[in-house]
Amino acid sequence: MVTRDLVLAALFAAIIIVLGLLPSIMLGFIPVPITAQSLGVMLAGVVLGAKRGMIAVLLVLLIAAIGMPVLSGGRGGLAVFAAPTTGYLIGWVAAAFVTGFLCERLVNREQAGLVQGVSFFIAALIGGVVVLYAFGITYLALVTGMGLSKAFLGSLAFIPGDVLKAVVAALAGRAVMAGYPLLPQRA
Amino acid sequence: MRTLYVQGDSLLHRLSPRLKLLLLAGASVALFVVSSLPLLGIMAVCSAGLYAMLGLSLRDSWQRLRPILLTIVIVALFTLLVDTPVQAATVLLRLTSLMLLAAAITATTGIGAFIDEITWLALPLERLGLMKASDIGLSVGLVIRFVPEVLLRYISIRDAHYARGLKPRPLTLAVPMIILTLRSADEIAAAIDARGLRGQK
Amino acid sequence: MDIRFEEAEARFEKRLILHPLTLSLSERRIGVIGLNGSGKTTFVRMINGLVTPSSGRVSVNGFDTIKDADRVRAETGFIFQNPQNQIILPILKEDIALGLKSRKLSRELTDAAVEAVLSRFGIAHLADRRAHELSGGELQLAALASVLVSKPGILIMDEPTNQLDLRNRNLVQFTIDGLEESVIVISHDLDLVADFDRLLLFHQGRLAADGNASDVISRYREIAA
Repeated sequence: MVTRDLVLAALFAAIIIVLGLLPSIMLGFIPVPITAQSLGVMLAGVVLGAKRGMIAVLLVLLIAAIGMPVLSGGRGGLAVFAAPTTGYLIGWVAAAFVTGFLCERLVNREQAGLVQGVSFFIAALIGGVVVLYAFGITYLALVTGMGLSKAFLGSLAFIPGDVLKAVVAALAGRAVMAGYPLLPQRA
Repeated sequence: MRTLYVQGDSLLHRLSPRLKLLLLAGASVALFVVSSLPLLGIMAVCSAGLYAMLGLSLRDSWQRLRPILLTIVIVALFTLLVDTPVQAATVLLRLTSLMLLAAAITATTGIGAFIDEITWLALPLERLGLMKASDIGLSVGLVIRFVPEVLLRYISIRDAHYARGLKPRPLTLAVPMIILTLRSADEIAAAIDARGLRGQK
Repeated sequence: MDIRFEEAEARFEKRLILHPLTLSLSERRIGVIGLNGSGKTTFVRMINGLVTPSSGRVSVNGFDTIKDADRVRAETGFIFQNPQNQIILPILKEDIALGLKSRKLSRELTDAAVEAVLSRFGIAHLADRRAHELSGGELQLAALASVLVSKPGILIMDEPTNQLDLRNRNLVQFTIDGLEESVIVISHDLDLVADFDRLLLFHQGRLAADGNASDVISRYREIAA
């Protein structure tokens, strides 16, 4: 890997950590608080593409694992991987990769703005919501033995917030592509 | 940034990080294989005993464990609601034990020791030509180095919103923060290469 | 010091940034001046191989910047415009020790070398400080230490007094004057380079003047007018 890619991934990891330091917000129509950190995971894929985005997320998890409280709510240490929601953390890696993978193939600089925005949104939705919840719900079902459908039910409340984040990630992806394009382009 | 490491000289501090991580892996397998409640109860008591050896105050421990403990309790309650009380108790004991063991290892292993261990684990990948093991320590250092800079940038962008009478929104905050931060990548990368820190041929 | 450019040119995405240039440098203190976008930075980046010639050849003490990139980087230290981006590990002494890693010294020798280079620039008391807490002047000195710890014979600096207050600017000037290494300094601060052994003036991607400081500075004033 060239040094620049390593540095880009490390800087994005720092961005994801800073997003986790921001207070979570409550929106009227969603019953659970929304944190900006998982927005950072989608943004990593949207801005840097599959490989560098995934490395950025791996770095955040690694730094959390070795004992720094860098996950939202001041969580850190190996204990964060002993929670019933650990599947979502593992899912972050796949989420960033899939989001980035789809962005690299769906979006290119010559497209009209609307096409770019919609493509970014689809990528963030599939990677950052569908794939992420597949990991999170499967893990939750396994450790609690409650079964997939009940685990899905328990996760339902968080989905609207994450769909909203996919919208923000798509808009941000377009704006960053216009201002400082980094996304690898593939046909 | 602060870390969750606690200075000390307990048995756990003196064990090698590699052994501790192996024991943790072994314990987590054991916790998920065992399904008898009394046995899980004994394991939970042992984990708590191990954690107590660190000598952390209750208040300190609560601070450290609260977010994860809360998630575990919420999920256990949800399990109680949709499943049997036995299953709920199993989830509670299993995950709480694992959390205590993991937290004890985090508190007794320094960042540097962890990075050495991970670098060692990555050596086979290096031999396969997939990555450079020493890049792990370098990039972890880079992230920790630049978190405060990114935070400062975030604050100044937010203040710029206020100064112009704008309401800060996720999009208008995130985009300039990303662009400004990633722009410095070229120069940081050039500095790493100019100092020959990755030792390329 | 023996730096040679032989018909070396630089292009960025096919655009010619630096026209073919032939020259050799051996003076101890060399200044590089010119307007923004004149090709100064590209020129100095070619010396340590951060920019490689698209045709022609650049060598440092006999080592080619493409074929022997690692040797060239060991011979040349580079201080960037923004010292903020030069310190890459969180704690100052860790960052400085990183430059010694490739030599695989013992812990004691590494610590001693770090201590020595920090003392040399009067910042030994900052060893355990976090990089983001350092002031502009401290950062500039820290950047110097981080580069000189690996003992390159040649030091390249891109606008070292940019954004420094007068006291820190004077400190940097004093430090440069006292260096035993050969230095090549890009500067818009003409006082800084006024007593250097040789100045190079770049204009529109070409070397526009080359010689003693007073002649080159007066040529620069004509161009800038």
